[in-house]
Amino acid sequence: MELRSFFGILPPRLPYPDISVPVESLPMPEKIALLFPETESGDVAVRVGEDVRTGQDMAREGKGPFVSTVSGRVEGIETFTGPHGRDRVVVAISADSRDAFDPSLKKIEDFSQKDPWELREAVNRSGFTDLSAISRNPTLWPPVEVLVVSALDRDILSLANQQTFRDRADDLHQGIQLLVRASEARHSVLAVPKHLEAMAAKISPGPAKAVPVSPFYPNGLPAMLARNCGAGLLMKGDYRGLSGNTLVVSVEHAMAMAECLQGGKPFLEKRVTFSSGQAGGFKNLLVRIGTPLDHILQAVGAALEPQGKLIVNGILCGYACFSDRLPVTPQTDAVHVQGSREVFFYDNAPCINCGKCNAICPVGLEVNLLGRLSEYGMTERCRDLGVENCIDCGLCAYLCPAHRPLVQLLARAKEALRSQAQEEIRRPEAPAGKGDTSPPPPVRLFESTPEEEEALRR
Amino acid sequence: MIEPRDLIVSPSPHRHCGARMTGPAYNLLLALVPAVIMGITYYGFDAVRVIAASMASAMLAEAGMQRLLKRPLRIFDGSAAASGLLLALLLPAGVPLYVVVVANFAGIIVGKQCFGGLGANPLNPALVGWAVIRATKTWAGFLDFDLMLVNYDPGFILQYPLAVLQAKGPAALSRFDLLDLFLGRQTGGIGASCMVCILAGGLYLVLRGTIRWQIPLFFFIGVIGVASIFWAADPEAYANPLFHILTGNVMMGAFFLSTDYASSPVNRWGMIVYGLGCGALTVILRAWSIYPDGVVFACLLMSLFVPLLDRLKAKQVVPRPMDLTTLTDIKGGRTAS
Repeated sequence: MELRSFFGILPPRLPYPDISVPVESLPMPEKIALLFPETESGDVAVRVGEDVRTGQDMAREGKGPFVSTVSGRVEGIETFTGPHGRDRVVVAISADSRDAFDPSLKKIEDFSQKDPWELREAVNRSGFTDLSAISRNPTLWPPVEVLVVSALDRDILSLANQQTFRDRADDLHQGIQLLVRASEARHSVLAVPKHLEAMAAKISPGPAKAVPVSPFYPNGLPAMLARNCGAGLLMKGDYRGLSGNTLVVSVEHAMAMAECLQGGKPFLEKRVTFSSGQAGGFKNLLVRIGTPLDHILQAVGAALEPQGKLIVNGILCGYACFSDRLPVTPQTDAVHVQGSREVFFYDNAPCINCGKCNAICPVGLEVNLLGRLSEYGMTERCRDLGVENCIDCGLCAYLCPAHRPLVQLLARAKEALRSQAQEEIRRPEAPAGKGDTSPPPPVRLFESTPEEEEALRR
Repeated sequence: MIEPRDLIVSPSPHRHCGARMTGPAYNLLLALVPAVIMGITYYGFDAVRVIAASMASAMLAEAGMQRLLKRPLRIFDGSAAASGLLLALLLPAGVPLYVVVVANFAGIIVGKQCFGGLGANPLNPALVGWAVIRATKTWAGFLDFDLMLVNYDPGFILQYPLAVLQAKGPAALSRFDLLDLFLGRQTGGIGASCMVCILAGGLYLVLRGTIRWQIPLFFFIGVIGVASIFWAADPEAYANPLFHILTGNVMMGAFFLSTDYASSPVNRWGMIVYGLGCGALTVILRAWSIYPDGVVFACLLMSLFVPLLDRLKAKQVVPRPMDLTTLTDIKGGRTAS
């Protein structure tokens, strides 16, 4: 899994596996849970006991869309505390065996004649969040310079996206056409791992140009794809408005979008790779979105150990769950189970300044310094050193011989800066651009040279 | 509905490459084994005596300070043992043990623990210990190799080459064979004078990734560069660059002394300037100072500049976007504005 030489002068490399694992379909559970989309914490419009249809928008006006993936009865609505202390809302629905589709979802047969705004709305309405950033506020609309459709998985323990490309590469052109039309991108790129380059040469990916990507982590992360295959900056929509010029969408989402719009259906089923520390090997599963993770564990016959870990979205950039009742979301690619003996514990040891983190950081941050600054709450200096460019790949903490929780330290600084900036925007007495009511201009995540600025403006 | 389970929750990544804090120090100890063996072969039990006393006192000082400052006891990370061994290898075999012990206590306490221990030391503790001996008026004689090694007969010329250079100029150096110098058949510290062993250990450390290779490389470039300038200016007054590389503590300094993690820069340009500075200062101190060898003071001086050198940023945080001219404009998409 990891390529490490005895000669440590070469950094260890983490290859994406080059294997094909057939996808098994998992039966729908009796009860599903749906998480309110991650960027929003707004209200839910349905009540407990109410019946919902598949594809129904359960969010209040202007807060969604929050799409039900089953037909059935709402059993409960609950709030729990998610990352950074933010509230997350989860809705439990007891699922009927048959889907009754919501009539408000319309079929769109021909993408090329549709207005981009309508397409974007339709994609969002189907339950995808990939385009939500660029469809929220028309006044903040910078052009998408490059659309990157990625056949790489984000993490090394995930195969879902790669497998989709292996199985169904021939249908990809429709998804790319839809995305190009909806995002109004000027260029589009199909990023494929090097070992699938031959396959990419056989298909005609519409207007996209196939670009081979070296299959080593973190090249599959969206921010890295934007840097290496796109125009440089990943498009993000957040409290500052919009920033970036490259939109990255996975192959699986691109295909599902086209299918959903043509069939008038919401995004229902997600491919999830299951792997386990004890057993080894991978399993690809097709599961209904909203399926609780314990249903997957039961189906594959894996058991959770006490004091073990249940990890979603991969071992290097994923997150550890506090409960096996959390559901599969449209962003879930992989589920990994660690036994209690495999769990790695971080230490509060001081930095020994070995410089391994600086050498490996794919965005060139001074991680050794940032970790220490964040530890002592000096977030302003962290900003000066560009902590906001961190892409959370986790390679620094993976290599750190002192076992420092570097990802957490950097995330702490980023979160402090984020909430601070948000506070400044909210403050009413803040001089809003001398009578100008427009939101603050988009912040460039990276400094670019005048030539690059010119190239982007072109 | 979402009941918490007995699971561990932590930030990513959830796996580690397996490197440990003990790795660097133990690798360093391993790399010094050939030099230690050669030292013991030449100077016998006296070398064992100095090495044992030095390592023991360094570890004792570290443990005592950690206990006193109520820090977790991290004595087995090997860093104290490594700095004790480094100091011992710089000293002549005949040095009295109380000097070794005091130097190590000074190095570990003043040079390391007072600043917060491993990783926070602005100077290499072994070098601080050495500097304490050198700076103490009545002890400076203990670093005079000609004086200290007068009772030994290891089978080669018992004259410290750098002292000969300082006293008699390069004309007197013809008695030293460069191959002999390289094979360690020269007067010097217990281990620091055995160039081939130090070179082998150093290359091992570089290949294992324990030390940053840029520092030794540019250390040597600095020594050769400045020594060449001196030599080219006046070959009668200054020794040739190869002699500088093969004598004194240069090999030891390049691989083991200047590469101490906390007291050397991490960024690329910082490491380059630091390495060049150490090398250049070494030759300048040898040429113009009252000390025969300048490696230790050069490393100490350059270490003081490390916070500044670390501000020399090598990698710019700019994306390297793809060449957009290789992509075709999508027809029917957004019109070019």
